[in-house]
Amino acid sequence: MKITKIITGLMVLTVVLTGCTVSDKSKESAETETQLQSTETENAVKTAEASSSEQNDGGKRVIEHAMGTTEIEGTPLRVVTLFQGATDSALLLGVKPLGAVESWAEKPVYEYLRGQMDGVVNLGIETQPNLEEIIALKPDLIIASKVRHEKIYSQLNEIAPTVMVKEVYQWKDTLNICAKALNKEEEAEEFYAKWDEKTAYFKEKAADKIKDTKVAVIDFRADHARIVYTGFAATVLDDMGIERPESHKKAEWGVMLQSEEAIPQMEADLIFDQTNLNEAENVTNRDKWTSNPLWSNLTAVKNNQVYPVNSVFWNSGGGPQAAMQMLEEVYEFYGVE
Amino acid sequence: MAWLRTTTQKTAVLTGLLAGMVFCFGASVSLGTYSISLHEVVRAFIQFDPGLTEHILVIHTRFPRAVTAMLVGGSLGVSGVLTQALTRNPLASPSILGINSGAVFFAVLASSFAGNLPAEGVLWAAFAGAALSAVCVYILGSVGRDGLTPVKIVLAGSAITALFSSFTQGILVLSESGIRNTLSWLAGGIAGRDMKQQMMVVPYMAAGMLLALLLSVPVNILSSGDDVAKGLGQRTLLVKIMMGVSIILLAGSSVAAAGSISFVGLVVPHLSRNLVGQDHRWIIPYSAVLGAALLLCADILARFIVMPSEAPVGVMTALIGAPFFIYIARKGGKGRR
Amino acid sequence: MKSLFKTAAAKGASAPKRKLLALAVLLAASYAVCVCAGSLILSPDTVLLGILGKSDSQVKMILETVRLPRATTAVLAGAALGVSGTLLQGTIRNPLAAPNVIGITGGGSLFAVLFLNYFPDGGTVFLSLASFLGALAAALLVYVLAFKKGVTPIRLILVGIGVSSVTSALTTLLLSKSKNAAVDKAYLWMVGSVYGADWNDVRLLLVWFSICFFFSMAYSRHMDVQGLGDEVAAGLGAHLQRHRAVIILLSAALSGGAAAVVGAIGFIGLIAPHMGRRLVGTEHIFLLPASALIGALILLVSDTVARTVFLPVDVPAGVFTAAIGAPFFIYQLYHSRNQSN
Repeated sequence: MKITKIITGLMVLTVVLTGCTVSDKSKESAETETQLQSTETENAVKTAEASSSEQNDGGKRVIEHAMGTTEIEGTPLRVVTLFQGATDSALLLGVKPLGAVESWAEKPVYEYLRGQMDGVVNLGIETQPNLEEIIALKPDLIIASKVRHEKIYSQLNEIAPTVMVKEVYQWKDTLNICAKALNKEEEAEEFYAKWDEKTAYFKEKAADKIKDTKVAVIDFRADHARIVYTGFAATVLDDMGIERPESHKKAEWGVMLQSEEAIPQMEADLIFDQTNLNEAENVTNRDKWTSNPLWSNLTAVKNNQVYPVNSVFWNSGGGPQAAMQMLEEVYEFYGVE
Repeated sequence: MAWLRTTTQKTAVLTGLLAGMVFCFGASVSLGTYSISLHEVVRAFIQFDPGLTEHILVIHTRFPRAVTAMLVGGSLGVSGVLTQALTRNPLASPSILGINSGAVFFAVLASSFAGNLPAEGVLWAAFAGAALSAVCVYILGSVGRDGLTPVKIVLAGSAITALFSSFTQGILVLSESGIRNTLSWLAGGIAGRDMKQQMMVVPYMAAGMLLALLLSVPVNILSSGDDVAKGLGQRTLLVKIMMGVSIILLAGSSVAAAGSISFVGLVVPHLSRNLVGQDHRWIIPYSAVLGAALLLCADILARFIVMPSEAPVGVMTALIGAPFFIYIARKGGKGRR
Repeated sequence: MKSLFKTAAAKGASAPKRKLLALAVLLAASYAVCVCAGSLILSPDTVLLGILGKSDSQVKMILETVRLPRATTAVLAGAALGVSGTLLQGTIRNPLAAPNVIGITGGGSLFAVLFLNYFPDGGTVFLSLASFLGALAAALLVYVLAFKKGVTPIRLILVGIGVSSVTSALTTLLLSKSKNAAVDKAYLWMVGSVYGADWNDVRLLLVWFSICFFFSMAYSRHMDVQGLGDEVAAGLGAHLQRHRAVIILLSAALSGGAAAVVGAIGFIGLIAPHMGRRLVGTEHIFLLPASALIGALILLVSDTVARTVFLPVDVPAGVFTAAIGAPFFIYQLYHSRNQSN
């Protein structure tokens, strides 16, 4: 009797408590939304105007992002970026962040960004940025990613208005949200114009070189190999009109191959290898896989069409500048001026 | 108790099992993401054609893999027999007693911090780790008034496993080569192993097996009890140490060759004992063959369960072995004293 | 309950009580020190002023948003894990029992990884719920499988080990086919981290822990009886099986609740009861609070060290609790050398 009462009690409590927490959290985000909705209608006109990239003073804007909406006033100058692509985008838009998380490779800042990152405070690793350091910087905008920082969203919001990008590797999403939040949509438009121009030019000039050539992107890690399906590099290649094998046109980011038996899946006319060569274990594993006779049987290998590429630009950078650098590398590769 | 009574029966069944093992071997070579007919397999050996993917797969990937599975499975089976005999506990096995995790930890330690170590170095590290954890588990399990009971040794093994796995994960996180690299070590993987490396462990495995076979009769005597054995003039301490050496050789080389594979050493001795009774002169050979067959089958399953990716083989053995373990535990958990 | 206290007082058991008091004071002092530590080292009076709302906004923010909730969560989660381990060790009558041995933590991990895989947009609240349910489900499974006209400690352990191997294998399987981000989050969860704890977590843990702790204390006498052995306990008229079931449920609830917030932090459930026993003895009415306080101390200190030693990198606390496990085991081995024959 006593037991059943206790057990029932515990179960009821679980449900109640979980309910409380859930409703707490949803109350919070609901509050933010209702608060902003009145502002939204007020500023609907202003927002529309701002997004047509005419305004330069910004005013109060409401940014829609992966975790709801946030109100931002004016043009933020004190910015903190909590993932690679955000840092890249902010710098591109002419805003040097006060603090940024460290890079995955070439620590603490990627070489291609080092010139622009003088005096930027290191906030620790992307997955667990140091909240106290962020507070100390007194930012007026935080750019983070839902996939990494969902748990600390409410805390970040208390420090400063925070916008969240859904993923970390979709650079156009990142650039768009950064542009809106930083009130630099003009600069973003300029970049897109340049991007479209360069990709169109490429498609035209390299048309006969890329026609009917299937290109695969692979990556060797310490104990497995990867083929990229829709990751960062693949989206850039798609923009440039470069074709990829049918079997690589799937919805996921890619596949992790555990066994050398799977080498035939890498079959393509040309292979770009974005392995991070700074990690010795990656190189050792790559050498092991490439000494397998199955590798020599691949079309690309037989025709000597396997090219190592810069893993920062093709993989870890994750931002518009990295994308542009990757584009330039592809340009050079195909001999397009 | 045993199914088979006479020597003739036992020999006959053993031969049958050997044939079965060869069948599994053949299946392992021909089945997988790419199914290759046995006819083609044979041709690969007789009339090797370097242009045919199938032939390359057979010779360079499937065959070494099957050989590894066979050797490792056999070693694990025999080391399981000895472990159970040594601890007089039908629920013991090298993985449950934490020997595997110690070997893995030391191997990871060696390869993380002494990257240019010759492959033999990793092997010796695995041996050292196996020895160390065996000693730790023995001491930890003997704590307390009632000495080394089966339950305590299992618990001690569990605690030591948890300890060494945490350390292993810690090193892998800190060494920055990415957490994903642990999978092949912690979960046991036969795929993609270097044939040369595998061949290195063969002498040690052979030594361990030979030692085990030589110990068959002494182990029989020892099983009747320490006092009885001593009364019959046996040097029990020496026998126990030799058993320990054999276990370490077999388990250590298995880990070095294929990472941590659990439950084979647990399940196989039980099957053997059900077939041939308590005579270790039969149990050991039976366990070698059964272990080889079991791991070959597990490896084949591992290829199909999450196509086109592959499950680590240690996962399969756990999924098969754990329910068996629970079944034994329910039947007569106290174990034989 | 009243009789318990009377007996305790009558025995003149002031020594354990004094030790409990000392532990509590130690915890409070550590709490104060840990709140002072961080990227910006604050002096105690600044902290005091900050709590009272009288210092500058930056300090206030650091305290309110980051340090106080994090330290409090560490204390509560550590206490929960300590008590959970004590309960388990008491009913299994073996000092090496811990929630991760019995598969409870494994169940939590499996459900957490399942959730991260199939509901990537699910949100952290539901992640917590998933892992909690996983812990309970695993405990239930182990209990049911170990039940054969009752549950003996031995069968419980063995089945628990079996179940924990299965959950570990399934978790590994899932991880080998997950996306990048899910794997990173999963591993972080499995190592255990107090990073990002907020006041919601504190509230949840506070209520949950208080209730479970209250029930655990109510069972302290039963646990003492169980410690005498199954036959003796049954002979004394104890409802052995019923009590065992409740104790296991409580243990799972506590460690599941803690894991829901801080992930699968290991070793506290193992170590805290040991230290507790050395300090206050085996009477559970003292041992349970002692383990709670010690567990709280361990996690608090580990987390503080983890977030300050490698600045600006914030290392997950679980890495450090594992590091504490090592000296503990070595100590145990050394200590046992004098005991074994």
